[in-house]
Amino acid sequence: MKFIIQIIATIFVCFLFQTFLPWWTLAIGAFGVAFAVGNKTGFSFVAGFVGVGILWLGMAFYIDQTTHSILTEKVNKLLPLNSFVLTTLIGGLVGGFAALTGAFLKQK
Amino acid sequence: MKIIKFAFSFLVTASLLYALNNVWNFGSPIPPLGSFLDPFHGFWQNAETSKVSNQEVNLPGLKDKVTVVYDSALISHLFASNNADLYYAQGYVTAQHRLWQMEFQTHAAAGRISEIAGAAALDFDRNQRRLGMVVGAQNSLKMIKADPEIEEAVMSYTAGVNAYIDQLSDEDLPIEYKLMGYRPEPWTELKVGLFLMNMAKTLNSGENDIELTNALSTFGKETLDLLFPDREPVSDPIVDNEGGWKFKPVTLDSLTAVKPIEIVSIKPVEKQPKNIGSNNWAVSGKKTASGSPILCSDPHLGLTMPSIWYAIHLNAPGINSMGASFPGSPCVIIGFNDSIAWGPTNAQRDLVDWYKITFKDNTKNEYLSDGQWKSTKKIIEKFSIKGRPDFYDTIVLTHLGPVTYDESYHADKQNKHYAYRWIAHDGGNILRTFYEFNRGKNHSDYMKALDHYYFPAQNFAFASVSGDIAIRIQGKYPVRRKDEGKFVLDGSKTSSEWKAFIPFDQNVMIKNPERGFVSSANQYPVDGSYPYFVHSNQWEHYRNRRVNRVLSEMNNITPQQMMQLQNDNYNIQAEEYLPLLIEGVQSFTLTEDEKKIVELVKAWNYTNNAEGTAASYFEAWLEELQLSIWDEMVDSKVSLPKPSEYMTWWLLKNHPDLSFYDHQKTPEKETKNDIIKMGLQRAIERINKWEKDHGRKADWAHFKDSFVRHLLRLEPFSVHAINGGNANTLNASRGGWGPSWRMVVSLEKTGIKAWGVYPGGQSGNPGSPYYDNFITPWEKAQPLRLKFERAPSALVSSALFTTTLTPASK
Repeated sequence: MKFIIQIIATIFVCFLFQTFLPWWTLAIGAFGVAFAVGNKTGFSFVAGFVGVGILWLGMAFYIDQTTHSILTEKVNKLLPLNSFVLTTLIGGLVGGFAALTGAFLKQK
Repeated sequence: MKIIKFAFSFLVTASLLYALNNVWNFGSPIPPLGSFLDPFHGFWQNAETSKVSNQEVNLPGLKDKVTVVYDSALISHLFASNNADLYYAQGYVTAQHRLWQMEFQTHAAAGRISEIAGAAALDFDRNQRRLGMVVGAQNSLKMIKADPEIEEAVMSYTAGVNAYIDQLSDEDLPIEYKLMGYRPEPWTELKVGLFLMNMAKTLNSGENDIELTNALSTFGKETLDLLFPDREPVSDPIVDNEGGWKFKPVTLDSLTAVKPIEIVSIKPVEKQPKNIGSNNWAVSGKKTASGSPILCSDPHLGLTMPSIWYAIHLNAPGINSMGASFPGSPCVIIGFNDSIAWGPTNAQRDLVDWYKITFKDNTKNEYLSDGQWKSTKKIIEKFSIKGRPDFYDTIVLTHLGPVTYDESYHADKQNKHYAYRWIAHDGGNILRTFYEFNRGKNHSDYMKALDHYYFPAQNFAFASVSGDIAIRIQGKYPVRRKDEGKFVLDGSKTSSEWKAFIPFDQNVMIKNPERGFVSSANQYPVDGSYPYFVHSNQWEHYRNRRVNRVLSEMNNITPQQMMQLQNDNYNIQAEEYLPLLIEGVQSFTLTEDEKKIVELVKAWNYTNNAEGTAASYFEAWLEELQLSIWDEMVDSKVSLPKPSEYMTWWLLKNHPDLSFYDHQKTPEKETKNDIIKMGLQRAIERINKWEKDHGRKADWAHFKDSFVRHLLRLEPFSVHAINGGNANTLNASRGGWGPSWRMVVSLEKTGIKAWGVYPGGQSGNPGSPYYDNFITPWEKAQPLRLKFERAPSALVSSALFTTTLTPASK
């Protein structure tokens, strides 16, 4: 249950941070949520990864749909990986490690 | 232990953030992945839809309200109540669509590409500064500042661009900045001057002085004059006014500079491709269906995404003008207003000289001039290079110009020094010309406006609602003595310097000629009775004859016919060359393949349409033939010039035994026909290989590949257009170069009707539906009807959206 809570809270908090602040502040969001929820370190990493991954993938998917993929296909050819995969992966990694750090701090 | 785990995890997260926030280069550059992929601020945010709602924007520095209506093609129509606001809005709106391009192109002019692209661009950057690009821009800016109206236009434009930059949010940053991880710097007035220097370099820096000097030493004067005559044996000049030049020309009493006899072994920086140019013409009401003049303008330039042109409509008290503008400069550059229309083609002559400089010693503090030692000036140029320490370059200035080539830059073995003299160093206030064109009412306003125009020299076609047509070749041309400027000159003798310029009222011009039309296509400009020596490294030989041939036969002309003529693919070069090529292979026993190809081109109608392979075979044959005839030049260790394709044809016809026909790499001695046959064989091999590589027939459109390439050479942001034409047809579309703004204006008394299109789109954003939406109408030569209305109310019903710019309260 705490695992699900961390994912949902991460999505919510990071969404707020990202709406108003630069991209890297999502690390602070994911870190803070992980610290507050206090999952075990492994779970915390996965929850942070999944939370931010879902947020980024969801937002990217929403933009892609509303703009009829006008840019996605062009950028796909510029990047080594599909841009949805890469976006989810990069967001997830940052979210995961930030959450891991938060969990380590909580562990006394 | 826990602390260590925490610290470790913290460090990993921090390093990850750092790594993902910066550009890395592992062979190929990797964008800052975190900020680039972030869907809230990164590239995803650059994806746009065509749906935009009306908005109001508060901007500091505006005096009054400006209404901007974006029509269905995203062309902006600006309605302001004063000039300052009009140009402010032009800057703002242009930046909105083209900011990255504006900055990138002015960075290129200023030799600052290595700041973005790294060390690979350093040679280019150094060349730009050593050619004096920045000096020229500074001199132009001085002249602009001495002209209050133009200064106001440039300052307001600058303020408008900066107003856009100041309110630019992270998510709206153009994608190229996100990709390369940098941000725009403030726009400056100097950048307007720098942009115009780019145009000067493209249009007015052509020369082959070093190559001709080497050719003179290698082949001797007689051969040189045969291969590169002052006036080639083909002529349909822009103005034929035999015996009509009644003025007293400026003459120089000093002697022609002594011709050098040495080899210049430096490798000059790569030059623009040859045979670039433009067409324009204006037909009088006598020849049109409506009874009103029609003006057609079609400048051929490097085709890029985003385009060099940005269509715009400027309206304020005293001005109602529409057409193509430069992203980076105020005013409409090629266009029309309620009374007149104008369009230029390039009028390049020899506007460049290289002077060999004799320094007193290695300090380069003094150099020889007429037996005296003159002092040099030195400037230290700093180059910031991405990912590398700064680079410093000392440029030595002489009174002739900057020393471009020396020991540290493209040095030759003898460590010689060459200073660059270029018309664009002197600066010019050409915006004054366009400012007056935009407001001009008649032929006399057009003439007055042109008196301010120094460079890049152009053939300005003109037509007015009142029924006049005219053409004037305008630019600051040095008075040349015969042969002067063809070769590298001795900088130690002032007798070889530019002494005077052709007075503007003695430039080549004509108004309302008998034949009922004026035209130009970069050909030799004037009949033989014009009293000045005219020289260029290239003249056009085919398009000019085609347009004159067609226009002289036409009557009751409609604008639609003119659009077709702009897209005309008839190839006079093929009409002249092919009989000679076919005759050349008659005496040989041909293989089945060769016979088939000869039959194919025999049946061809000399029209370079997109479909069909005959044009591909002809072009490949011609190219292979040129390469084998002029292999003496192509394979030479020093830089040598190649004769024009026209001269090659003329020589093949009139000098069947030229020693150049012998191919150097074979032991046999080839004749003219041997080399024609060899060309056919190689062309077939080349096309076979092309067809194998591409897995399709070598249809002309695909074989030539009209490539509209993104300025960063990013393939996914580039477009391959499918169309016909080549450099020698009126539809001068070939790979990477071609018709950059096709405009047709019918100057009817009941109201101007105008059409225009360029390859690209109004938006510079690859994520916009308006990034490449002009490509298809451009391919098909179906220019868009330009909505030239006097008030916003007439536009709003069919518009995409309207933006109101209002002064921000202090």
